[in-house]
Amino acid sequence: MQNLWPRIEGLLRDAGRDIGRPARYLNHEWGCTYKEDADYHFCMVYPDTYELGQPNQAVRILCNVVNAVDGMYAERGYLPAADMIDLMRREGVPAFSLESCAPLYEFDAVGFTLSHELVATNVLEMLDLGNIPLRAADRDESHPLIVAGGPCAFNAEPYSAFFDVFLLGEGEESLPEILQLHRKMKRAGATRGEFLRAASHVDGTYVPSLYEWLPEAEAQQNGAWARPLFDDVPAHIDKRVWKDFATSPAWEPTIVPFAELVHDRLNVEILRGCTRGCRFCQAGMMYRPVRERSADNIVSAVQRGLAETGYDEVSLTSLSSTDHSQIEEILRRLNRGLEGKGISVSIPSQRLDSFGVEMAELVAGGKRGGLTFAPEAGTQRLRDVINKGVTEDDLFGAIDAAFAAGWRRCKLYFMIGLPTETDDDIKGIASLAQRAYDRAKKATPPEARGSVKVSISCALFVPKAQTPFQWDGQIATEEAHRRINLLRSSVKYRAVDVHWHEPDVSLVEAMMSRGGREVCDVIETAWKNGARFDAWTEFFSLDIWRAACEACGVDMQAIAQGAHDTSWVTPWDHLSVGVTTKFFQHERRLAAQERTTPDCSYERCSACGVCPKLDIDIQCQEERHG
Amino acid sequence: MADFRLRVTYAETGRLVMLSHLEIARALERAVRRAGLPYAVSQGFSPHMKQSFGSALPVGVGGLEEIFDVSLTDYVSPEEALARLQAVSAPDLMPHAACYITKDEVAASAAYPRSTYEVLVEARLGEESCDDVLSAARALTLPAEIVVVRKKKERVLVPAEFMVGALEIEPAEPGEEGQSRARLRFTLESKATGSLRPDVLLEHMLDGTGLRAASILRTKQSEISKA
Repeated sequence: MQNLWPRIEGLLRDAGRDIGRPARYLNHEWGCTYKEDADYHFCMVYPDTYELGQPNQAVRILCNVVNAVDGMYAERGYLPAADMIDLMRREGVPAFSLESCAPLYEFDAVGFTLSHELVATNVLEMLDLGNIPLRAADRDESHPLIVAGGPCAFNAEPYSAFFDVFLLGEGEESLPEILQLHRKMKRAGATRGEFLRAASHVDGTYVPSLYEWLPEAEAQQNGAWARPLFDDVPAHIDKRVWKDFATSPAWEPTIVPFAELVHDRLNVEILRGCTRGCRFCQAGMMYRPVRERSADNIVSAVQRGLAETGYDEVSLTSLSSTDHSQIEEILRRLNRGLEGKGISVSIPSQRLDSFGVEMAELVAGGKRGGLTFAPEAGTQRLRDVINKGVTEDDLFGAIDAAFAAGWRRCKLYFMIGLPTETDDDIKGIASLAQRAYDRAKKATPPEARGSVKVSISCALFVPKAQTPFQWDGQIATEEAHRRINLLRSSVKYRAVDVHWHEPDVSLVEAMMSRGGREVCDVIETAWKNGARFDAWTEFFSLDIWRAACEACGVDMQAIAQGAHDTSWVTPWDHLSVGVTTKFFQHERRLAAQERTTPDCSYERCSACGVCPKLDIDIQCQEERHG
Repeated sequence: MADFRLRVTYAETGRLVMLSHLEIARALERAVRRAGLPYAVSQGFSPHMKQSFGSALPVGVGGLEEIFDVSLTDYVSPEEALARLQAVSAPDLMPHAACYITKDEVAASAAYPRSTYEVLVEARLGEESCDDVLSAARALTLPAEIVVVRKKKERVLVPAEFMVGALEIEPAEPGEEGQSRARLRFTLESKATGSLRPDVLLEHMLDGTGLRAASILRTKQSEISKA
């Protein structure tokens, strides 16, 4: 493979201070893997810049599993920042991998993780910069196989034209399987078409080119919008789940970057899945069932990881780390072992109902930065609708514990525009935050009360595919602004700040989340008209997306804001997280009745369908008590 | 608590010269932890390793004799400390000496006000190129003034005030593709009021000469000799 480093180095040297953060492009970090003798080359791409992609756990996990296979080499790839992309285009330098600094087009396969809805144009930017045809239909035997996975693969249709293969669910086993099949067939001289047909027989694999896209009326009759073109291609695809997660080592090889990252710490994944069952939450539906790794496994992984990386912080990651049945034991053992070393242990998110006095003292070592809690809605009624399962008392109890333990800042996260929301629910957010502030002040010694800060952060509800709220529409942008203003005017305390995400961005997210195959054209048009880095406020332009929708005859509002009956067949009905549509429908009915469903890892089974369908069980180390 | 101040000398070379001072500092801190040295931790709100770094190198400038100090709570022989650091360091950020310093010695950041740089220059590509690198280099002169912007304020620096001794120019071995090169050597002294960055000086000095800097290396750091 070509080594582009001398050219990249020349570009960086000549550009001097005109190119930001050259550390993004250097490679040579501590802990990189080099495989000289590989006969199959895979590049795992995170479609955003290095500092966002390097901390991504999917990239780390998937590179490690592919590198564990003899003769296969997985390298990392990131989208260069805009300044570097422009320079590379001017100088004719293609997108490259980090380890070998080889052009993307020379790889056997390129994988993308679709971690959120706004990376779509970055995928096209990376393919184009890598001299790879954007559309799967335009690629031939000389081009790499282009694979996608991650959360957005569960509604693959808006991206379906650009990828050869989608892998649904956990990729620890399925990615090496697919790549090994590709290596074997390629070596034996199989065509691209022959490989794709064979790939479609591997569990959890969706090959969009083997399906025809039906018009709406026919789709509703057929029970799915995508219909297989051949009898041997499955009509319905379930996600893959990695059954050995709980018993596998929590330690794994980690690269220590030079550049400062958004999450610059050692990550140790302590559990997977969360069945609290929030009805808006895609992650909660996607990673079922709950599987915990043992305290011994986790503690030894943290010790080994810190010794090998030299990090001064470790994060015990998962969707809901305080739910781990042994979390107190884990934190106690780690704190004891790390005492006096200036190393802190953190937890990415704290559940309100499991964050007590003890937890407050156990996390973050001596450091007391800000805490984030997510009540999500301002009133108990609406929290019951979304099945958040926390009460005001949970919030106040957590605030008392946190501020008594020395915290001074707290961020409360809410969603605006949730199904059934009224103005009272919005005013409820202000009231809740102000009462939380009063409690925080009371729990703080008088001399420190001046520094108590509570802030409200809110985002517009984005209906997500594969959730009970997938049939609900997003509220209109104008209405979102009205409700944000209502919230701002309802907050009377000067010490309580209100921050919000731009509703314009959420509108595009909702279209990407709920759209069908017609959205592919919109993405390509938007990219051609300059859309890239849509997740970056300074780059995002709703005008570009509006114009692209208009040019393609796609109604963005209808896709994002349209409400459907739960009998309506969605554009992602042929792809499944393992949860049955019946469960989603049932949950949506309960929401309307303001009735909650308990967490099956604490109480009885809620019959979502995942365990029997994927032949797996909840794996907790000890009984959970909530 | 016992406090052993270990001074480590390392080289920053290869592609890692592109790292910023903060990135280097973070990498060295992590190397100390990986080496398992008994580092001291500060007290207070945000406990951190007691470590201090030598004067910053600009992005794109390498160094052969760079230093950092780290306080240890237990004595480890300098040879062992060095060996442990070397085992966990990237080849382009490699320690090559370690010794203990007394508490009377000046901290790493202020220990050496004088820096000697070696610069390889070659012909710029394209239209603005020069024919004979060595004679173009020999014709280089120190700009009378350089205007820099710091914290949004313009400041006028006089390079002659920062230069110690003369600008030396000599022929150098050709580059990887056989391109002819010349070597510049000069020493700059930092002042209490600020310093002149070698890359900024070169940018102005080479402007319009058809030369470009292929590499900039700080080869030596020294104290101000007492006259």
